[in-house]
Amino acid sequence: MAIPLKYNFRNLRARSITTLVTALSISLTVAVFVVLMALSNGLKMAFVSTGHPENLIVLRQNAGAETNSTISPEAFQVLKYLPGVARNEQGEPLASAESIVLINLPRVHTTERSNVLIRGLSLTGLPLHPQVRLVEGRWFEPGLREIVVSRQISRRFQNTGLGDRLRFGKGEWKVVGVFEAAGTAYDSEIWCDGNQLRSDYNRPIYSSVYIRAEAPSLVETLSHRIREDQRLQLDAKGEVQYYSEQTQSGQIIQIYGMFIAIVMAVGSSFAAMNAMYGAVVNRSREIGILRVLGFSKGSILFSFALESLILALLGGAVGCLLALPVNGISTGTTNWQTFSEVAFMFRVTPKLLLGGMIFSGLIGLLGGLFPALRAARQHILDALRAVG
Amino acid sequence: MKYFHLVWKNALRNKIRSVLTVLSLAISLFLLTTIIAFWTTLNRTPESLEAQLRLVVRHAVSLANSLPISYRSEIEKIPGVQQVVPLQWFGGVYIDEKNFFAQFATEPDKVFEMYGEYQLSPDQLQSFIKDRTGCIVGKTLADRFNWKVGDRITLIGRIFPVDLELTIRGIYTAPTKEEASALYFNWEYWNEAMGRPNVIGTFAVKARRIEDIPQIIDTIDARFQNSLAQTKTETEKAFQLSFVSMLGNVKFLIASVNAVVLFAILLVVANTMAIAMRERTREVAILKTIGFRRKTLLALLIAEAVLICFLGWIFGCLGAWLLWSSIDLTGIGGGFLSSLIVTPSILALGLAVALLLALLSAGVPAWRASQITVAQALRQL
Repeated sequence: MAIPLKYNFRNLRARSITTLVTALSISLTVAVFVVLMALSNGLKMAFVSTGHPENLIVLRQNAGAETNSTISPEAFQVLKYLPGVARNEQGEPLASAESIVLINLPRVHTTERSNVLIRGLSLTGLPLHPQVRLVEGRWFEPGLREIVVSRQISRRFQNTGLGDRLRFGKGEWKVVGVFEAAGTAYDSEIWCDGNQLRSDYNRPIYSSVYIRAEAPSLVETLSHRIREDQRLQLDAKGEVQYYSEQTQSGQIIQIYGMFIAIVMAVGSSFAAMNAMYGAVVNRSREIGILRVLGFSKGSILFSFALESLILALLGGAVGCLLALPVNGISTGTTNWQTFSEVAFMFRVTPKLLLGGMIFSGLIGLLGGLFPALRAARQHILDALRAVG
Repeated sequence: MKYFHLVWKNALRNKIRSVLTVLSLAISLFLLTTIIAFWTTLNRTPESLEAQLRLVVRHAVSLANSLPISYRSEIEKIPGVQQVVPLQWFGGVYIDEKNFFAQFATEPDKVFEMYGEYQLSPDQLQSFIKDRTGCIVGKTLADRFNWKVGDRITLIGRIFPVDLELTIRGIYTAPTKEEASALYFNWEYWNEAMGRPNVIGTFAVKARRIEDIPQIIDTIDARFQNSLAQTKTETEKAFQLSFVSMLGNVKFLIASVNAVVLFAILLVVANTMAIAMRERTREVAILKTIGFRRKTLLALLIAEAVLICFLGWIFGCLGAWLLWSSIDLTGIGGGFLSSLIVTPSILALGLAVALLLALLSAGVPAWRASQITVAQALRQL
């Protein structure tokens, strides 16, 4: 027969300070775990959500990232008219040749600087990036030094508000609009007219080409065809795949986060163990009485393990609550593949909270197992004779 | 010292509890040491006099923009400048992307004058200078890939559309593992393969005297103010730290995790200490009856806490030091770190934290225990 749960709750309440301190230390561990994982989650989401399932991106062979790539206008002409490329209502192929430039900008409130990616494209290329939505001002005029800045960049960097001017290329560029890109990687970019950008940098070539396939199923066929074309010497892949490969830049944060969380978890399971051993020692006599009453060794073991689990889950729940407010806070780091800033948000998802609770449960079980074994193994007479 | 035995016995009174307290303390101190070591290693820059004399000139817009190589002779003319050496980051891939390491195109005959702290034997330097497609590698890097002088390697261009075939002509040594993890090859070879764009990513500039540095920085940037490619000049240290700032708000993240960890151990240790003291009220009363003074009792109880925290420090901080000085992190460091360096000052900081924890956690309960009167204490049974 099992010992009633009420017994455990009452015991936890009886030594309320120890319970509180142990639960709090577990909750801090869980909070750190959830916050660090929310950080790596958010970074991953920024990349994973960027690709459009019908788009493919074409780069120079071995370039690996848009910032390193070069594509000639002749190659763009070939790519545009490949079979399987979707067309718009006017019958024009949906393909966009884009140019990338990096500029080093100071962050707001500090002297720290970071690289921001500038994407030059033509207005006809905009429909290929449906995630991007203008929220203030207007789009750039072709042939003018005008830029449209993502909301995230304009919040995080100096001189990037509507009406501000930035100096790069051959002159000053005016901020004429602000866009939002639903948390995708485009949210960390500045957009402008591609021809103007190329003329400012004396570049006859593009960096990358985006192509819309007629159907998602055609993306791989089309990519394969481009990769195999010996004349082009280009690499093509689905946009979704390209961006999800960049999540690697979140790897360091993830390793770092897991390391801290695991070490803290071991530490707090020791704390839980300490509290539970204390409980077992204090309650020796009670345990003896329970045994006399006929409760089996198994039910004592179960009861103590359960008590530790309850304690830890209590801490875990508080920890999850403590971590919740970071959800949605935006921050940024550098994507080393493109060598440019990527803005993203902390994302606390229900799945992550569940992970936090499981994590705290593990701490509780780890901390409670040995004390519970000790409680169950006590000899009845010794237990009854104990002081306490 | 005559009381040490008593303190030791008291600490071992409840073995499991003491061991668990020491362990949870050790783990927290280990984490604290590691996080601080991570931050200081990340921010570590060469401190030698040589390094302090060096500046880096890059394009004002960003590192991804190039400067004309002709700027070199202009910079050399600026008063106070001793030497200028071009450096171009190549960023190629050796076999697999995971094998990341730094590769620079430079001038073979000048680069070792610029980096005086690097050591290369004269005949290896001569054969590097003579071979246009030669390269030299740092000792740490050579060990990592088992390279020997004479080996041929291929770097696949990522940033640049050229692949380079290089022959290792020498292996240099440098003060730190990071500095000994780079490859240098001839800029002429790169320039030719690229179709002679005659550009460079950065110039390393050496000043004659430290006092001249602010003025040199201003003069260089002013000289190219109205050129097509404006420059940004900064000290080598500032240049290196700019990469750390690109990681984002890591400083804040590290500081907050540290604060949380500290608070968590303080809670746990204070709680265990308080329990240990409470359990001992009766013993304290007996000791008082025998004739121990309050001050001695207080000292005994605090000494016990100090002992426990000191043991935690030994396992935690010294453990971290032993662990990190024997582990090579080149694989997972992403090119930032090859090892975590736990400096003596971090160990000292850990000790200070441990002692402070002992005083904070044991202070109040110990004082209360020592203040209680014999009659009161004996009654509390």
